[in-house]
Amino acid sequence: MIGHGATGMLGEDGIHVDMNHLKSGEVNLGTSIMAINFKDGVILGADSRTTTGAYIANRVTDKLTQVHDTIWCCRSGSAADTQAVADIVAYHLNMYGITNNEHPSTQVAASLFQELCYENKDMLSAGIIIAGYDPRHGGQVYSIPLGGSLHKQPFSIGGSGSTYIYGYCDANWKEDMTEEEGIKFVRGALQEAIKWDGSSGGVIRLVVLTSKGAVRHLYLPDTGYTGPGATQS
Amino acid sequence: MTSIGTGYDLSNSVFSPDGRNFQVEYAAKAVENGGTAIGIRCKDGVVLAVEKIITSKLLKPGANKKIATVDRHVGIVSAGLNPDGRHFVARARDEASSWRNVYKAPVPTSALANRLGSYVQAFTLYSSVRPFGVTSIVGGWDSESELAVDGQVGTGPKSGAGGRVEGAKAGGPGLYMIEPSGLYWGYYGAATGKGRQAAKAELEKLDLVSGNLSLVDAVKEAARIIYVAHEDSKDKDFELEMTWISSLDGPTKGRHEEVPKELFEEAENAAKKALEGEDDEEDEGAKGTANEGERMEE
Amino acid sequence: MAGFDFSNHNRNVALHARGVPLPKATSTGTTIVGCCYDGGVVIAADTRATSGPIVADKNCEKLHYIAPKIWCAGAGTAADTEFTTALISSNIELHSLSTGRPPRVITCMTMLKQHLFRYQGHIGAYLVVAGVDPTGVGLFTVHAHGSTDKLPYVTMGSGSLAAMSVFESMWKPNLSREDAINLSAEAIKAGIFNDLGSGSNVDVCVIQQDGPTQLLRNYMKPNERGEKERNYRFPKGTTAWLNQKVVLKEDMKKYVVVEEVSGDKDLAMDVDS
Repeated sequence: MIGHGATGMLGEDGIHVDMNHLKSGEVNLGTSIMAINFKDGVILGADSRTTTGAYIANRVTDKLTQVHDTIWCCRSGSAADTQAVADIVAYHLNMYGITNNEHPSTQVAASLFQELCYENKDMLSAGIIIAGYDPRHGGQVYSIPLGGSLHKQPFSIGGSGSTYIYGYCDANWKEDMTEEEGIKFVRGALQEAIKWDGSSGGVIRLVVLTSKGAVRHLYLPDTGYTGPGATQS
Repeated sequence: MTSIGTGYDLSNSVFSPDGRNFQVEYAAKAVENGGTAIGIRCKDGVVLAVEKIITSKLLKPGANKKIATVDRHVGIVSAGLNPDGRHFVARARDEASSWRNVYKAPVPTSALANRLGSYVQAFTLYSSVRPFGVTSIVGGWDSESELAVDGQVGTGPKSGAGGRVEGAKAGGPGLYMIEPSGLYWGYYGAATGKGRQAAKAELEKLDLVSGNLSLVDAVKEAARIIYVAHEDSKDKDFELEMTWISSLDGPTKGRHEEVPKELFEEAENAAKKALEGEDDEEDEGAKGTANEGERMEE
Repeated sequence: MAGFDFSNHNRNVALHARGVPLPKATSTGTTIVGCCYDGGVVIAADTRATSGPIVADKNCEKLHYIAPKIWCAGAGTAADTEFTTALISSNIELHSLSTGRPPRVITCMTMLKQHLFRYQGHIGAYLVVAGVDPTGVGLFTVHAHGSTDKLPYVTMGSGSLAAMSVFESMWKPNLSREDAINLSAEAIKAGIFNDLGSGSNVDVCVIQQDGPTQLLRNYMKPNERGEKERNYRFPKGTTAWLNQKVVLKEDMKKYVVVEEVSGDKDLAMDVDS
């Protein structure tokens, strides 16, 4: 499993995170994000906290960003960088769909993300998880951590909050879960990440990608992250 | 051509009053004098074949190949001006590698044909350039299996991707022909060059649309068709050149390769024999394979 | 000698290495807010401009025109907010002219974020973008590095914490126009009174779906200079003055001329004897 270390490189002690790589005043996604494969496709999940230093700049952020019909990504790291990268990829996938008269596959999306993240690694702080569904390949999860490498994974976790849920995910992960089981897994993991990570919080957002398209889910802290559940996308 | 001599044939960027671009039409003339090139698309692969006219006895036999590999899974054969064909192939290779750079995956044959079509078309627009003096046949096989992103680490869940729609058609053979005007179509069977009329007539008899012809049989047919097409210019020596691309579980494993020596010779011999049979005016109608016999009855 | 001269740069690096801080650009400590309501959006700002500890302008304008129904509130480096909004306003107008359609808030937001991202945070403009267009009401924040957020109510600038506390405790869905104006003004006042960088008056801009945009300049003046309890002006004639010229005894000397007169030496001796 690849962690994103989304809040920055580790300091000299190898433990504490160096936040100074973010330019001063830069908006940071101290984050818990994840995406999983399940029986019918993929599920993406994220908390909703965006911070500038100690201040929560947005408590209901949407870190699940659509780059094509059924290809989405989870963003962690600098908000500006990841938004810019996602915008560029969305543009290219749109163009791909038009010029080639077919939907781009998740691989195409992943390779575009990787190209941007690797070639501009010196200028970016972006840890991105890409998850997509297409009828030919089914659901797929790719992760691109800080250096710009590309990893295909059964499931992927990222952001500062992910460090707290390696154990949870390792213990509870199963292949070929049902949608219900998958949602429970992601929600449970993010709930733990939010609980232990100060930089994560707010609501839990999910996106379920299957042959039926994309369905958004929302889980609020007021009700202990039990609902309201699926919302119209 | 009534408009000849009126000046409308001098420049690329000028239409004649009846809406023709003569430079493009002259380029097509150049193609009509080139050695016959054909392509056959069947369910399990694509065959490319060309009649290479031997212009000098000093040329080394088997050297100076006319069919080029553009990417592992794509080949191109051209009829017309050879140097133009070489440039066209160079461009195709650039397009294929640029696709790989961006998408970390092999270029689909259709996408390559599209880009090459656009490239050729651009040479019909400007007075500073002349159109390509070739018609090129692009054959390829798009992988039917799931493709990894080049350079990715890991393979995802052991149980495989969830939610895949089984039986959905993916990948397969591709055959396109690009003309000097930039026009390109997808074909079951394509022919260009001097003997194209005869070759087309033979291709049409194969009923490629039904998908019953196997790749190995297609190789034999391709050899025969080149020999048939050569009949009209018998005075010139020629060499037969053939390549093929099979499905992943076929003999070339999705790669564009020369037809192996053994099969090549078998096909060439059968082709020669079939022609001899024709010359003998059907005195022994059912000579050769039963298959061939059936066909000759048509 | 031809070429560039880098001696000043080397000097600056040397000075910086010895602990001399780099000069800072003028930054406006600011409170700006935005708030959606049914049928429109309100943005508001304080009017204090600072340059270090000095209040440079007590009544400046931080609400910038982009298009008739798109306005920006700016925080951060004053020059940057001014020029960035002016640039985007110009481009938006050209875009609107070429498309023949009213400009959209999301277009403006995208142009701003792409411009700011290109400059990697060196353009210190922190903006609240608000407006209405045929797709509805839009309200966004754009940070200097190019990140954006879409929210029903937003605050930015050094007073954003104070302002947000007002929104978080008093905002509710489906506000009326007046409620939104009052809430926004209240939030700005929280900034004015609780943030050192913010002060003076409240500017408000109301952008309505059906109706013209209203710029309510100095909508509130909570810091009007009050009447002084006492009048410190002295009545005429308080100060005594003389109408005659006085010449002091010592000064008399300069009016006296002393002249030595030479005498007969013998005569003087006679006297002695």
